[in-house]
Amino acid sequence: MSEVYSPTSEQDVQTFVHSCFLEGSPIEVMGFGSKAIGREIQCSKTLKLQKLDGIIEYFPDELYIKVKPGTSLELIENTLEQKNQELSFEPSDLGYLYKGKSLKGSAGAAVACNLSGSRRFKAGALRDHLLGFRAVNGKGEVIKSGGSVVKNVTGYDVSKLISGSYGTLGVITEIIFKVQPKYDESQTLIIYDLNLKKALNVFSQSMQTSYEISGACYYPEGMASFFTLNDIDTNSSITALRVEGPKISVSERIKSLKKLFSDHQNIFVLENYQSRIFWKSTSDISFFNNSENTVVKISLPPVFTEEFLQQFTNEDIKFVVDWAGNLIWIEIAKEDSVLLRQLRKKVINFNGHLTIMKAPTHVRIREDFLTVVDENIKKLSLRIKDSFDPKGILNPGKMYSGL
Amino acid sequence: MTTLLMPEVDQRVLFDKEKIVSDLKKFTNSNNIISDSEGVTPYETDALSAYKQKPMIVVLPENTEEVSDILKYCNENNIKVVPRGAGTGLSGGALPLKDCVLLSLTKFKKILEVDYENRCVVTQPGVTNLSITKAVEDRGFYYAPDPSSQIACSIGGNIAENSGGVHCLKYGMTTNNVLGVEIVLMDGTILRFGGKKIESEGYDLLGLITGSEGLLGVLTEVTVKILKKPQSVKALLLGFDSIEEAGKTVSDIISGGVIPAAMEIMDKPLIKATNDYSKAGYPLDVEAILIVELDGTESEVGVLITKVEQIAQKNKVKYLRASKDDEERLRFWLGRKAAFPAIGDMSPDYLCMDGVIPRKKLPEVLKEINKLSKKYNLRVANCFHAGDGNLHPLIMFDSNIPAELKKAEDFGADILKLCVQSGGVLSGEHGIGIEKRELMCEMFNNEDIQQQLSIKKAFDEKSLLNPGKVYPILHRCAEGGKMHVKTGEEKFKDIPRF
Repeated sequence: MSEVYSPTSEQDVQTFVHSCFLEGSPIEVMGFGSKAIGREIQCSKTLKLQKLDGIIEYFPDELYIKVKPGTSLELIENTLEQKNQELSFEPSDLGYLYKGKSLKGSAGAAVACNLSGSRRFKAGALRDHLLGFRAVNGKGEVIKSGGSVVKNVTGYDVSKLISGSYGTLGVITEIIFKVQPKYDESQTLIIYDLNLKKALNVFSQSMQTSYEISGACYYPEGMASFFTLNDIDTNSSITALRVEGPKISVSERIKSLKKLFSDHQNIFVLENYQSRIFWKSTSDISFFNNSENTVVKISLPPVFTEEFLQQFTNEDIKFVVDWAGNLIWIEIAKEDSVLLRQLRKKVINFNGHLTIMKAPTHVRIREDFLTVVDENIKKLSLRIKDSFDPKGILNPGKMYSGL
Repeated sequence: MTTLLMPEVDQRVLFDKEKIVSDLKKFTNSNNIISDSEGVTPYETDALSAYKQKPMIVVLPENTEEVSDILKYCNENNIKVVPRGAGTGLSGGALPLKDCVLLSLTKFKKILEVDYENRCVVTQPGVTNLSITKAVEDRGFYYAPDPSSQIACSIGGNIAENSGGVHCLKYGMTTNNVLGVEIVLMDGTILRFGGKKIESEGYDLLGLITGSEGLLGVLTEVTVKILKKPQSVKALLLGFDSIEEAGKTVSDIISGGVIPAAMEIMDKPLIKATNDYSKAGYPLDVEAILIVELDGTESEVGVLITKVEQIAQKNKVKYLRASKDDEERLRFWLGRKAAFPAIGDMSPDYLCMDGVIPRKKLPEVLKEINKLSKKYNLRVANCFHAGDGNLHPLIMFDSNIPAELKKAEDFGADILKLCVQSGGVLSGEHGIGIEKRELMCEMFNNEDIQQQLSIKKAFDEKSLLNPGKVYPILHRCAEGGKMHVKTGEEKFKDIPRF
């Protein structure tokens, strides 16, 4: 049984990591420990950051919030909501995927996983909203980078590197997020009954307009059945385009979009309230609510999305496309390692990559969580890892074997 | 010219110069190699022209393989390499070393692919920032980051310095707009980070190399995101009786939920200077001017203009004018964009600083700057990218007066320290280079700097690529030099700077 330590200060983290560094003891670093993301690893020590929590400062007119890593995203989002602001990368609530209910994780874990929701292709990923951080590296030294201002070219942008490094480079002790005003209005244009090819065409056409589309997803027939929104026909396929901003502008842009796609028969507009629920559910991957299967996330250039999925029409897979065709969520039978490997192999041929977002433990032991193909990039990544964590004690092997 | 401590010159390399030249001819056409003293002179400085050093050899490779072969050779033979884009950088990032091979990327000037389907452009790094927009504007697209030198600066250099412009608050910096690169490491390894997909696997190496000032690798290809131009753009010209009121207006606009495309503040000395120079028609009986630019659909811009007008009125705006058409909007910007030459007209020399502060600290920081101006007995004018907190004080001096450059540099260093003490950073868009190298200790402690230096080693084990830049040599914290512009000697004086 791994020994669990829950520090309450940066100093505690530093002392703990430093002693592990001296002993060479590997540490599994986690936020709340509520979701099993990343490769299954065995460590003699566990560092749980839940008690290192709280908002340090929040200046709405400076557009940033500084928090400790164990702060729940729920508290952050509620605090911002009071000033009509938000994290515009729309962090996913993976509680639905993992437990079938809302269970937002910690800020530290969100940074470690670089989790971003449906607005990602317009607003950027979490990494674009991390202005600065403090962390303890694998030698037990406190390091920092960035600051609380948006414009900054002062040394390497280590905030980017730490985002999505799954705790393998440092234990995050302080996070500064950029925040943005919430949009007054959200509306969604829905086109029913399109096949994937036509839906991708709709995405492509709409992205080449100046209507500032901030959500573009596709639910194949049957995949939207979980929605309980009054105005949605859940029996058809759904192609959805979101527009946000001041109300007058949103209505105007929706009108223009309707005109642009007037040759489609089944068009419908979701008004503000339902539109917000629709996109929250999509960002939260609610379509794979409490899945007992293996769920993967595939990122590839949108021009290849259809061709890629076509290779698997005879397989038993369920999918939803988001990020205007840049992202595919796929669910496959939990034991089907053959299919998992085929998906991974094909997506690499299309210049994309696959990340396992939920899988049974034995799959998480056996399969790489994500794949880096280029051997030279692997070597470079390992040298970077060494520069932060020379004894390899922080989440060793969490991303893939050796890193 | 101020003396500057640079890495120790390797006499053995200088001694072997002829052999190195002949070896390099194996990797690229001999016409691409310049080694005579006169030929290398144009490369002796970038836009931080207070510092000059002729490189040992200049090489202008033509493709990725040549870059790779040259770097590999230099790495094996312990020869330092300084990469260079268009040479418009303001922090001395491309300053050569006496014993270096200067690798100029100017032959990489082709746009390789315009891909509207994936909304991106694939280009070679020597292409200018503005040519990317020019290549896609007939279809209504543009490349968002717009550093003031965009007609001359290269996209590769933009990535090295993580360039900004006046629209960063809404559209982000270079790092938020670049999708992928091909990069060659010092040992010759060719790698690709990112690409046409928006997310990559593993560590975010693309994010790390953006803004790394040419210390981690040499770019040979770049993929950037393009955006559709907004339907409508309008600007407000606002005049206030105090900097405080202008600053409060900026804060209220943001906390009121409006993110303008750009917001710029000028103080009284600069209003007068730019108005005299450009005849922009600015009100002269105000202490501060605030230009607010708003974009979006027609109706959206209309709503936002009204909202901003109301906020300005609440803050006792003295002069208020909304642009009626594009011509008037551009006139509002005319003076602001003439800030640098206008100051050049008023003073034999000036230093341009590039600090960042939290927006709300502007009034107190300007008060302190004015106190310092009295202390050093040097005039200063200030422009401020108020949207993103980027402050550009312009310190006026005369280098013909003994010790005045040193005085101006000390003044500048005090301003940057003030920025850091106010919760800001040393550089918003010009980079650290050699200019602010010694001030890094104001922001970072030894452990932070050692961590960054060890990242450098992961890319370039022998520290041969652009050494002596960004990080203090010997970790001493002394004052560095600033962008020193001698009137008439300014490099690229015909490109706008703001």
